[in-house]
Amino acid sequence: MSEGGPKPSSSVKLVLLGEAAVGKSSLVLRFVNDDFQENKEPTIGAAFLTQKCNLPNRTIKFEIWDTAGQERFASLAPMYYRNAQSALVVYDLTKASSLTKAKHWVAELQRQASPGIVIALVGNKLDLTTQSTGLEGSMGGLSLSAAANSGADGDDDEEEEDARQVTTAEAKGYAEEEGLLFYETSAKTGHNVSEVFTAIANAIPESTLKTRGGPGTGRGGAGGSSGDTFGGTGGVNLSAAGETNKDACAC
Amino acid sequence: MLSLSSLISKASSLIDPNMLPPSLLNQVNGSSNDGQTPGFLFRSNFRLPDSENPLAVIPCELSLPTGEHYFGRLHLSESFLCFSSSAPSSAAGTSSATTSTAGPSSCGFSLPLVAIRRVERLHSRSYLFALAVTTWHNDQKLTLQFNSLRSTCEKFCEALKKNLRSQMSEMKNLRMLVGSCYSEWLVSGGKIREGMKEEPDAGLGMVWRYPGDAKKLRDKSKMRLWAEYLRENGRNITLIRQPTFHKLIRVGLPNRLRGEIWELTSGSLYRRLYNPTLYTDTLTEFSGRHSLSIDEIEKDLNRSLPEYPGFQSEEGIGRLRRVLSAYSWKNPDVGYCQAMNIVVAALLIYMSETQAFFLLSTLCDRLVPGYYSQTMYGTLLDQRVFESLVEKTMPILWEHLVKSDVQLSVVSLPWFLSLFINSMPLVFAFRVLDVFFLEGPKVLFQVGLAILRINGEELLDVTDDGAFISILKNYFLRLDESAHPRSDNEKLRAVTRFQELMVVAFREFSGITEQTILDQRLRHKDSVLSSIESFAKRTTLRNLGPESKRLLTADLGYIYDRFYKVLYERQERLLAIEAEKERINEKKVVSSGRSISEKSINEKGRIGLGPSSQLMDYDYFREFLAGIAKWAIADSPSSLFSPGFEPTFGRKKSILLSPWGDNAEPADHEFMQRLFRRWDTDYRSGLSLQDVVAGLAGIKGKKDIMESISYFFELYDDDGDGKVDREGILRISEALLFITRRGWETPPGIGAQDPKSPEGGKGNTDPFLGSVSGFIRRCFEYADPDQEGKQEEIATGVEGMDELVDLLDLASDDDDDEDDDDEESVKSPVNEKGPANDISSGKGKEKPDLAINTGNRRPSAMSANAALDPANPLHITLPTFRMIVLADEVLEYFFESGFAESIVLSTDVPRTPGGRSISGPSAFGNFGNGNIAGAKGLRGVLDNIVNDGMRVAQEVRRRMDEAQKEMERNAVPGKYKDDDEEEGDAKSIMEQDRDLLKGAEAAVVDEAAKLAKPDPAAADEDEGSGSTSDHRGENLLTISPSKANAEPMTPGGISPRVEFDIKTPRDF
Ligand SMILES: Nc1nc2c(ncn2[C@@H]2O[C@H](COP(=O)(O)OP(=O)(O)OP(=O)(O)O)[C@@H](O)[C@H]2O)c(=O)[nH]1
Ligand SMILES: [Mg+2]
Repeated sequence: MSEGGPKPSSSVKLVLLGEAAVGKSSLVLRFVNDDFQENKEPTIGAAFLTQKCNLPNRTIKFEIWDTAGQERFASLAPMYYRNAQSALVVYDLTKASSLTKAKHWVAELQRQASPGIVIALVGNKLDLTTQSTGLEGSMGGLSLSAAANSGADGDDDEEEEDARQVTTAEAKGYAEEEGLLFYETSAKTGHNVSEVFTAIANAIPESTLKTRGGPGTGRGGAGGSSGDTFGGTGGVNLSAAGETNKDACAC
Repeated sequence: MLSLSSLISKASSLIDPNMLPPSLLNQVNGSSNDGQTPGFLFRSNFRLPDSENPLAVIPCELSLPTGEHYFGRLHLSESFLCFSSSAPSSAAGTSSATTSTAGPSSCGFSLPLVAIRRVERLHSRSYLFALAVTTWHNDQKLTLQFNSLRSTCEKFCEALKKNLRSQMSEMKNLRMLVGSCYSEWLVSGGKIREGMKEEPDAGLGMVWRYPGDAKKLRDKSKMRLWAEYLRENGRNITLIRQPTFHKLIRVGLPNRLRGEIWELTSGSLYRRLYNPTLYTDTLTEFSGRHSLSIDEIEKDLNRSLPEYPGFQSEEGIGRLRRVLSAYSWKNPDVGYCQAMNIVVAALLIYMSETQAFFLLSTLCDRLVPGYYSQTMYGTLLDQRVFESLVEKTMPILWEHLVKSDVQLSVVSLPWFLSLFINSMPLVFAFRVLDVFFLEGPKVLFQVGLAILRINGEELLDVTDDGAFISILKNYFLRLDESAHPRSDNEKLRAVTRFQELMVVAFREFSGITEQTILDQRLRHKDSVLSSIESFAKRTTLRNLGPESKRLLTADLGYIYDRFYKVLYERQERLLAIEAEKERINEKKVVSSGRSISEKSINEKGRIGLGPSSQLMDYDYFREFLAGIAKWAIADSPSSLFSPGFEPTFGRKKSILLSPWGDNAEPADHEFMQRLFRRWDTDYRSGLSLQDVVAGLAGIKGKKDIMESISYFFELYDDDGDGKVDREGILRISEALLFITRRGWETPPGIGAQDPKSPEGGKGNTDPFLGSVSGFIRRCFEYADPDQEGKQEEIATGVEGMDELVDLLDLASDDDDDEDDDDEESVKSPVNEKGPANDISSGKGKEKPDLAINTGNRRPSAMSANAALDPANPLHITLPTFRMIVLADEVLEYFFESGFAESIVLSTDVPRTPGGRSISGPSAFGNFGNGNIAGAKGLRGVLDNIVNDGMRVAQEVRRRMDEAQKEMERNAVPGKYKDDDEEEGDAKSIMEQDRDLLKGAEAAVVDEAAKLAKPDPAAADEDEGSGSTSDHRGENLLTISPSKANAEPMTPGGISPRVEFDIKTPRDF
């Protein structure tokens, strides 16, 4: 936007993780293109996108890795969260099991990803829960999903069933315990989407930021380990960079 | 469902090959060793089903009705006659198995024997033997002139005759298959033929249009060329592959024939031929059933090529649902993997559901093995292979990528996983698929490498993943543009970037062969699997649930390893036994081996290949326990062979055929059954790793003796009412003796070390017997009477009592042979009150001892003890139980640590220093052997309990079945008629059609044909045989990729997209 300002700009690698169809790609699509697609194709392997985020004193360029959610793709994940400085772990507010999966991802990241990674826990599809339908005036009413419609067809609104399966308190409590950022979003209405990314941008410690340019930009804060893990084995190496770091430190 | 061939191959490593009949031997040799065997290569070269084996081969000259002659080899398998012209390369003639039939220059066929109408012996002077073969499409007659010793020829003919006869029964299948082939319709000029009711289903495209502009794709011209080819060279099952066939495919298949040619070139047609009803049967069988895969499929149905109109309709969605579900049922190991939805959706545009089903299974088994498996090891493996090929062929680019820390597989993985369907515009992806099905997986590598080579210069400027990806995305978007927009040569300007890609792929990278890929896969397989396994282990261990936190990480790792070791080893063992049984029963292995799924010997038995979803049933559990607790090992092995398995007379009994392999046979004790049920928290009659971990945590993780006592008590509190009845008490005693029968650690100063104990000094006695005896006595002493007794309970109680008494008797009586010392020591603790027993109240003393060592005294003893009177039902509660245990220091020690220590995990030191251990079966050795306990009424009681569990499971299943809903089948909407159908006779070729075959892509085929050094014997047929490899034919467009790269590649505007482009990457 403001080309004039000599604001420092730096790139941040962000990875999205979470169960299949919770709306990872939709969140990214909303953030990057401010768009939403009803039938988004499953992500195969991973997708890569970028988007800038303007903060008062600096610009963050997000390099976003959107991963595939199906369980069996999990073994590919280390390839994508390697050197990530931030992660969005997404679950579906209307599906309790997706929070369990999210917790697994959080544990995996905390153990295997770069130390100091900023993790945000995001409960998506807020528009499907009852509290939100009234709030999101402009867009929420236009295209209610089938589930919400059938609920509304019932005679008394009292009995309208809330699709929500994960309470805010439960997820929030967990997020606090683990020291995660926490948001409930709707990729469909756009509610809270840019807020998540801004919060992450703000939470990235200045020290780990590198200004743009020069090779190794995408490498993030985990300095020192770069060549070793990549080396001959290339991208199919499943052990995350963080692991090597830890091992190295232990000696 | 297990494929028979996999059974056989598993057995192969275990069975002495000399003992097998030759036919079976072929099976064995044919499918082991990572697919490098002649059998595997034979099937893979001729695209044959797994049941086929190379039975005979003979050098031969093939003369076609069209006048061509080819020298090569004729192969016979169980139900196929195959021919491939001699491998033009250096090794020609030496190794038949590596002859590639897919090579563009070759000629070949895979003729199902059932498609042969007649074979005549011709009289020929120059050759000993010549046969004329009339095929199903009887307008063609093939002549086969054998070139071998007379006896060899005769032998071959005999075998052929025999196999021909055995194939007669398949005739019905043949008719059905032919009737469903579009080629029949095409050749007949659109008239209804024998066995054909209407225009065969050529996919959703018939209704919702095929992607791309048919006119621009010159679909009509292609159809006419194909009609001609199919008339002259046979079609579907009788088709003969001549070099023109390859050319026709290289220029892109016509829409309506595409599905069938894919089927034919991949070999899935043959699977369909022999399993005509498999698809519909599967759908019927599993109709309405639920599974994880079904849920996952359901989630993605609306997310598969959503922009293609066919998949916005219920019909299209329904077809996709049915094909994916049927496959997930047929191959539950794979189930459903995202990306399959996109691949199948693409297939369904060109073929029927049934065709897509078989093509999908061919894909998963043969073309992209392991891509969609649970661990996706095939995907990872091929990425590793791809990386190493890039390193080899483009070292500078590779080095640059490594230096800039760009991960190649981040871009290339989706190419392979979705066969480029998700990366390129659809029309182009289908062109790649055309060649892929013809030539195999190497095509994916060739195209992938070509993409990198063409974009090489730009990629060298890239310093991060993002830029890397965006260059390639842009490249894919502009595949339809001219590759040389600024060229003066009009012909050159007309070449699109896609055509350039194909030429680079198949010319520059012609050195990448099927063998290259096989070798590379083999080279990297182990390291890829190992990294998958360590990842899987790490994640699994972390997510085992809160119970697992009570165990040490090292122990968890140990349990994990043991769990899978037992699972895989036992699976393999059972398969081997199955196979051996099969052999002994002399079932006809060869002809019954038709299964749609191919699993070679190495495709199982490693977590990396797919974690077994199988649960540990009771037998697995026994084996598992026997590995970590010595009390779980049987004292005297039962019969070596599993029930129902009769070893052949005179055959050496092989230890391999024991269901326990080399491991000690586990015991089968009531206590183990109870443990199993307790751990089986979900009543699945099987334990998951999580169950086992939680179960072990329940024993090993108890830090408190109270917890440990409760745990034991609860094992016997069947109805959870906090009471254990008379029978339970006896069973607890039994279990205590069972667990300690091989001795256990007692610290010095406990039990037998007591100076008052008469046999204290001997050191070979079991202090436990005394304690248990005391335990029983006190239990009955302190037991509370039941309010209301049930008759049945009383009955079993008595039986149980009798048995225990018998057992204790037996323990002493049985050892008559042994020296008296032993007998003494066994009896005495029962008769003599140990010092520990004195702790009990005086009441106990007044009562007679439990006189259970002689049968005679029993009745009187029982009547004397009210507690033993079956007419007075009684029970103990947990507090009572606790008190009794704590009253005996031996028992106390047992619950404190002995029990937990009897199970040895990785961190446990096997022997506590200073501890006393009694090793070897004690006098009570037989006690632990389930045979005794199981002989009488107790077993009946147990069986009832087990049966109850099974009834519950059955009931649940029944209810689930009732909740089924019928699959919807919508009527096929009206068919779409192509707008631009030219009114042309499919039979006559227009001249302008021909020039299609002169294009650059087709020319690659010509070139390959020329490069191929013709067989000397056939040299006179090829006028161009003198041409050297670097002389390229005049009709070839000389596109050297390096030159292409040197030209500026950016044309001005983007030409309007006419193609039906669904998969445009839109993020950039
Ligand atoms: N109602 C509603 N639907 C959503 C929302 N976000 C995503 N969806 C829908 O959920 C489905 C899955 O969305 P995706 O963004 O593809 O999910 P994903 O997590 O990327 O899935 P995978 O790539 O398979 O891992 C799509 O049909 C979306 O339209 C949301 O906020 N509200
Ligand atoms: Mg996605």
